[in-house]
This record gives sequence, C-alpha cells and structure tokens, in this order.
Amino acid sequence: MPDTIETAARAALAEVLPQDLPPDAIALDAEFDHLGLTSLNKVLFLTSVCDRTKVGLQHFTEHDLAAMRTLGQVVDALSRHAEVN
Amino acid sequence: MSVLNRVIGGPPRPGNRLTVARLGATASWDLTEVWELSGRVAARLLGLGVRPGDRIGILAANSLEWVLLDLAALRIKAVTAGFDPGKFDATGAELVARYGLTLLFTDQDETADRVHPIASLRELPPYERELPTSVWELGEAPALKFTSGSSGPAKSLLASAGSIDSSLAAVQDMFAHGPGDDLFVFLPLSLLQQRYWVYSALAFGHDVTISTYEAAFAALRTARPTVVMGVPGFFESARAHLEATAARTGASLAEVAVETFGDRIRYLWTGSAPANPDTLRCFTDAGLPIFEGYGLNETCIVTKNHPGAHRPGSVGRVLPGKEVLIDADGVINVRSEHPVATRYEHARPGDADLMFRPGGIVRTGDLGHLDEDGYLFVHGRADDVIVLENGKKIVVRPIEERLKASPVIEDCVLTNPSQRQLVAIVSPAAQQVDTDRIAAALRQANTGLDRDEQIAKAVLAERFTVANGLLSSQFKPRRKQIEARYRRLVIDPEEGIRA
Repeated sequence: MPDTIETAARAALAEVLPQDLPPDAIALDAEFDHLGLTSLNKVLFLTSVCDRTKVGLQHFTEHDLAAMRTLGQVVDALSRHAEVN
Repeated sequence: MSVLNRVIGGPPRPGNRLTVARLGATASWDLTEVWELSGRVAARLLGLGVRPGDRIGILAANSLEWVLLDLAALRIKAVTAGFDPGKFDATGAELVARYGLTLLFTDQDETADRVHPIASLRELPPYERELPTSVWELGEAPALKFTSGSSGPAKSLLASAGSIDSSLAAVQDMFAHGPGDDLFVFLPLSLLQQRYWVYSALAFGHDVTISTYEAAFAALRTARPTVVMGVPGFFESARAHLEATAARTGASLAEVAVETFGDRIRYLWTGSAPANPDTLRCFTDAGLPIFEGYGLNETCIVTKNHPGAHRPGSVGRVLPGKEVLIDADGVINVRSEHPVATRYEHARPGDADLMFRPGGIVRTGDLGHLDEDGYLFVHGRADDVIVLENGKKIVVRPIEERLKASPVIEDCVLTNPSQRQLVAIVSPAAQQVDTDRIAAALRQANTGLDRDEQIAKAVLAERFTVANGLLSSQFKPRRKQIEARYRRLVIDPEEGIRA
C-alpha cells in the first residue's frame, strides 16, 4: 500500500508544481516551499492524492495539513490512515 | 429598509441554512437557529460590558462562532474587527492594545486581559430579556477592516454602513440570489466582503456554506453550492487541476468541472486581483460562467460583470452609487455616493492623502479606461506592485533600488511566479560574475525589510540592453519580456543565487 500511495502522491504533486519535474525526480524530503508550491496548490495536491488513494481527507484537520511540508510527510500521513482503513 | 437593518431587524424566514464545512467536520443550522444563537452571543457581549461603538476583535479561522459574533456585534451596534490568524503575527493582547478593542475572541489558545477563547461562545444559555432594537445609520461604521499596506503594518479603516448596504443591494440586483442558491465562502471571514454573503443569506433567503482555504476543494463537491466566491489565484489553481485531471483521465473539462465544483453551479465570482483571461474563458467553456469585478478595500465593489451585462476582458459596468473617473494620467478614481471611508484609522503619515481625495473620491492607483458602453478595463498598476498570495502588496521599485545599490548589479527586476517569494532577475554589472558578491548584495538589500519584502533568490540574466529587447528605448527594464525570458530559471528551485 505505501508504494501505491507514494506513486500516487508523486504523480499528484508533479501535476501542481510550477516546473515540469518527472514524478520520480521529486525528493521525498524536499520542502514544498522550496519546490515553489503555492498554498492553494498544496491543498489541491492533498485533495487529489486523498482521492486517488481513497484516504478520506476528513482524517486530517487544517492544522495537520499545515504541518505537512514535504512529500515524505504526506506519504507517511496517508500511509498511517491507509493501514487503519 | 436598508439591507443591513433588514439583517438585524428580526429573525429570517425559516428554510435556509448556514453550513460550516471544515476538514473533518461539517455541521448545518437553519438561519433562524443562527439568528437565535447570535442573540445569545449578543446578550453575552452586553453582559461583558460591550456598548454601541465598542470594537470586538475576532482572531480566528472561519467557524460558526465567527458568524455568530459578527451578527451579535451588528445587533448591538458594536464594531467587528476581523483578523486572519494567517496574516497577523501579533497576539490577541497586542491587537487589543493596537486597535483599541474592548474584547477579542480567538481560537489561538491565548488568554489575557480582554482576550477570550471563541469556544466560550458555544452552547450559551438562551437569553431571557429582549435585546435592544438597533438601527445602523448610513454614515455609521459596523466594521473595522484592514487593507494590506504596501509595506509595514496593515492599514485599517472603518467601513460605513452605507457602503455595505449599497454593495449588497447592487449585488442582489445583478445576481438575484434567493431560494435554491447556496453561496460557498472559503476566504477568511475577517474580510468584510466574505461576510456580505452571510448578510445576503439572512436578508434575501438563501443558503450559505462557510469553509476554509484548506477544506475548500474537498468541501465543494459535497456542499454542491450554486455560487463560489474566490480570488483569481484560486481559480488559476483550479483550472490547472481541471486540465491535468482531464488529460489524465480522458474526461471532458465540463465533466471534471462538475466533479470538482459540484453539479449545481450557477456562476463563479472573482475579483480583488487581475484574473487571467484564459482562465476565465476556460471556466466559461467548461459550463461554469465566471464574472470578474473590480474594487478596493477603500471603495468596496465598483464594477462587476454579471449575467445581464458581461464583456469578457473588462471588469464590468459601474455599480449604482459609484462613479469611475479616469484622470489625466489614466488612473482610475472612484467617487461613491456612500464612501466606504474618507480616511484610515491606522496608517503611516501620508498614506491617506495618497488614497482619499475630497468629495468622497478614492484614487486607486490602477490604470484603466471605460469603453463606449461603460465597461471598465484595468491595465495594471500606476506603480509597480506585486500582490503575494497572502494579499500583501509589495511595491517593488524601492526594493529593486536597494539591490541596485550594489556595484555588482547594474539593473534588476523583481518577480514572484509562485506568489510567495520575490525573485530578482539581475542584469550583472560585469561579464565576469562573482556570485558570492551577488549573494552578499541580496543579504544587504534584505536587511531591515519585512519578511514578505525580502528577496529569496537572484537569477542571473544577460545584461539588459535595448538591442536584446530587455530595455525600452528609454532604457527602462521591460518587465514582461524579462520575466518571460527567464521564467524557467526563476521557477526552477535548483537555479539561482540565494541570499
């Protein structure tokens, strides 16, 4: 499951980044700010990746979302809920 | 009766609802319940000693309590001062002192003198006595609102009841919101205009859904609103999402639009910053008509496209009670029958003189023209201003001048493709570029600037010349050409020299 989540998260993130970056080239620990991700695109990315992985966005609060600053953190957070599911 | 006085004059008709859709929790109330609950909050405020004219601060994310406090303040003629926690670094106690607040309610886990948790307004007991009857006169001010300064702390002004009233009435004439409508609001309620849609629901009988920035995209599909109020940046992001999803899944844009916004959209509302015409066209083509308008905090809504009068590329015709005057420099000036304000409450010396002119006229600083049918077209700023995604307006010229003070930098242009960070595109003073010295110049320029005004990185360009098209014949940098030529380097996080 985590592999699937990571793949889905990479694809969803690549779609909203301002520069063309292959999904596999995004470092798990790269800060979203450093990647040029705007706040709205971060929200879209998280909404989209939750859709694709069937992890309900309702598991997270606005505060949780604000704390997710890297792809790795998003994958970890989603994986925890996917395992529970 | 004025719209505002209709809102506070008595309970609304039953059958319409306020929904608060946040991540993890959605709840809904009939507007009659909202009215009753706001009465309990009003009684609590009176019990805490609040009197007409007192200022009530709200430093909190969107919530039911936000709505109740604002309505309660309106009902007892107190003044609401809304603060977006994402924008104000100050504590509640500091805001109380700075803005002369009688009380402040917050969700920021702070207690201090005059600072109360907003959660304390939940589950108040019913009030036993009648609340005093209140009427807002047109010149009185129910709201203290804040406008992003070009630098330094936010400016504030007291917004008149007359300006709120005339805007609400004009919007209702244009869009006829009513039963069956559900207006979706996710921008902070600290912005007075976002509260208009709650007032509209109470006065004209429709639903309203309050969400948050973070929950908006998730909440839209389940809320199934008929109208979405958003800034251009929101629709820009949504368009990119629609196009990427359509490309990935093979679905049509219209199908993805329904999936994203729900299946009941009547129209989309945007304004407050220039919108990309391609984005507006994309939504219209996808079956979601989008109407752009124009206005400043200091003017409220001045023009608006709407179903009955829409000219793409324009920001619409002038609303009743407003008059647009284009001065000799091509700058848009706005005269209002009911001015929002004629001065700032808090601002740096001289700021008010730049904006407010005699006779209820506001000099907007935007360039534009009216066509023969009265549609306003906005061409840009008279001075160069960058608007960050947090709404902060950055006047770039003084910052560029600071950077150009370095002997290694001949010229530069500031840009912000991500709307978050300023990037300098630098024309070096010499062919042999010393990147360490440019980094030092960045640090020097950033010293003493507010965080939002600091330059995150510099991108090296070839020297700007007339011959290579990067300088005008008057030897001024041609911003659009420079930004277009170096866009790839500007947005690539691996490129550039960091401070």
